[in-house]
Amino acid sequence: FLAGFGSLMQDVLWCFSQVKGTIDTGVTESDIISTVEFNHTGELLATGDKGGRVVIFQREQESKNQPHRRGEYNVYSTFQSHEPEFDYLKSLEIEEKINKIRWLPQQNAAYFLLSTNDKTVKLWKVSERDKRPEGYNLKDEDGRLRDPSMITVLRVPVLRPMDLMVEATPRRVFANAHTYHINSISVNSDYETYMSADDLRINLWNFEITNQSFNIVDIKPANMEELTEVITAAEFHPHHCNTFVYSSSKGTIRLCDMRAAALCDRHAKFFEEPEDPSNRSFFSEIISSISDVKFSHSGRYIMTRDYLTVKVWDLNMENRPIETYQVHDYLRSKLCSLYENDCIFDKFECVWNGSDSVIMTGSYNNFFRMFDRNTKRDVTLEASRENSKPRAILKPRKVCVGGKRRKDEISVDSLDFSKKILHTAWHPSENIIAVAATNNLYIFQDKIN
Amino acid sequence: MLGKGGKRKFDEHEDGLEGKVVSPTDGPSKVSYTLQRQTIFNISLMKLYNHRPLTEPSLQKTVLINNMLRRIQEELKQEGSLRPMFVAASQPADPLSDNFREAQPAFSHLASPPLLPADFVSTMPLESCLTPASLLEDDTFCTSPAVQHDGPTKPPPPALQPVKDSFSSALDEIEELCPAPTSAEAVAAESAADDSKAQPSESNIHKPEGLLESRTAESKLMDPLPGNFEITASTGFLTDLTLDDILFADIDTSMYDFDPCTSATGAASKMAPVSADELLKTLAPYSSQPVTPNQPFKMDLTELDHIMEVLVGS
Repeated sequence: FLAGFGSLMQDVLWCFSQVKGTIDTGVTESDIISTVEFNHTGELLATGDKGGRVVIFQREQESKNQPHRRGEYNVYSTFQSHEPEFDYLKSLEIEEKINKIRWLPQQNAAYFLLSTNDKTVKLWKVSERDKRPEGYNLKDEDGRLRDPSMITVLRVPVLRPMDLMVEATPRRVFANAHTYHINSISVNSDYETYMSADDLRINLWNFEITNQSFNIVDIKPANMEELTEVITAAEFHPHHCNTFVYSSSKGTIRLCDMRAAALCDRHAKFFEEPEDPSNRSFFSEIISSISDVKFSHSGRYIMTRDYLTVKVWDLNMENRPIETYQVHDYLRSKLCSLYENDCIFDKFECVWNGSDSVIMTGSYNNFFRMFDRNTKRDVTLEASRENSKPRAILKPRKVCVGGKRRKDEISVDSLDFSKKILHTAWHPSENIIAVAATNNLYIFQDKIN
Repeated sequence: MLGKGGKRKFDEHEDGLEGKVVSPTDGPSKVSYTLQRQTIFNISLMKLYNHRPLTEPSLQKTVLINNMLRRIQEELKQEGSLRPMFVAASQPADPLSDNFREAQPAFSHLASPPLLPADFVSTMPLESCLTPASLLEDDTFCTSPAVQHDGPTKPPPPALQPVKDSFSSALDEIEELCPAPTSAEAVAAESAADDSKAQPSESNIHKPEGLLESRTAESKLMDPLPGNFEITASTGFLTDLTLDDILFADIDTSMYDFDPCTSATGAASKMAPVSADELLKTLAPYSSQPVTPNQPFKMDLTELDHIMEVLVGS
């Protein structure tokens, strides 16, 4: 049990709230959720999937009549964001899978989000329409043009209510700027620019300009044979619009200041933890590869996820993280098998809660882990249909690492490595979390007393 | 995996590979370290070259696997720097041992990682080297780093050219004698050899499915250059590399190219045949000598007979 949001030492019990997606045992590949993101108020929750679709859920208004149904999330809009494409030059398909969704802060009635696949970023406008104009002079209700000679009366069109319709329209398409696969997008705090990062380059865009972007990081070597390191994730500082970080496949994080130079090849800060010689193995480099990097809401810390751990870094200390949390260290002795079946390359994400006091990340067997930074306590929970009774309290899970297995424990060898939780999201201000388990989206909330 | 008969079961293998980190300096566990390294090397090669996705492979994954291969190669180079590398065909100070060494590449790869010269193999009787099973049984392979070369010491030549000369000539001669094994097969054979060697090799005609699939992929790698560029370009990472760079420069898979013990006519009929001439043409730029199909065969005829027996018989 964890310290709750805000106040000290309040225990939080996590309860099942909802699950979205089919129960079918056979999973259609295109239904696999590939990204999950709350918007800045937590009113909207967006998911992207391998089929290139975006589904947006909206939290319903809390009603006094049904206090136990604390704002459930219902489908608000569904649209096809990206389609599969074909690169004729290389004779390869370009996947339509949505790699990342990032919301823009709301500035008017409409909602805006960025969604990206491997090559193209799109800005989508999601807006409501609940009125429609009626009484045109030049066309009738079906839209057919009327014969002008038949018009005898002039009238003013009026807006009449209609059933709520939510439309999603692509407002900008930012294409042809990435030779390699886009892994990250991040909206700048100036709300005018954003960056997109691929394996070797990071580009800075202005939302209004789609045919041009600035290249701010380029680590491509002159001779590709010398390539040994790639960019794995990147993010803007939440408050300083000139600062961003990017992580690498060698376990390093670079903080860059865009004021220093147009091309930020020289980092302002370089974060790297020295290797622990007692843990050295063939796979040391691979498991050190950072799969996700996230600034804390405060902007004082960054959190990184590598294969076995989550680390919290203080921006003022570059030589080592201030906190390291073991996600599933029992996998350390299985690295060769995990290398063989490619699981070692799984890219787990990590998230902060609203107050930066708790961090969460996923694991295998549909387990996900939370770490309380203050109490140093951690918990393992499971997203499964068995625990899916309304408001059922999630029971902590435990993996048995050899020796005698207790009744409720699961042994390492029984873990299902095909059930991996890579994507999770935490509501910006409340204890509501969204957990993507393959093709299902689980929403958990803390217990209402 | 490696090992004879029932001695090395899957879970034993797991124990050998998993569990505690084995450092190269441990005495008795040097065997398992070498075995672990060899297995990881093989797995890495398979990942890079057997995978033909419809979409572009992940550059991050490719880079990490490539780094793994390079690290292992570096380690082997350092271990092998005590001994001479492959003798250049153009330096026939000791023709017999040269020939001997040149004959070995086909077999010693089964137990030892590439780039390790076959010097320790030269201490073995020829017959045992021809049979992979007996070869693998011999633990002296894995614990041989301290073994010094018996023959005349030669400075390490550039890794590429002399190997190709002997390889291409050997291949050509084999080709003439027995049309069944093709270079494509040979290249493919090793990369999936791990799976095939898991079972006892009482029969040399052993065709696990994975082997066939990998052979098909490998045969595509052996296609004439235009196709190769497409493949390498598609990885993005290997844009500037030609097929030869992949096979012979960066990662020396020449040791893996020819394995008569796991090839047979049955599998050959399913392969897209690649003529030795095409192979020779691609190898030509790397040879220190002009490579002609009529290059004198360096192998002993008795060795050749042995090879033929293995190929056709059993």
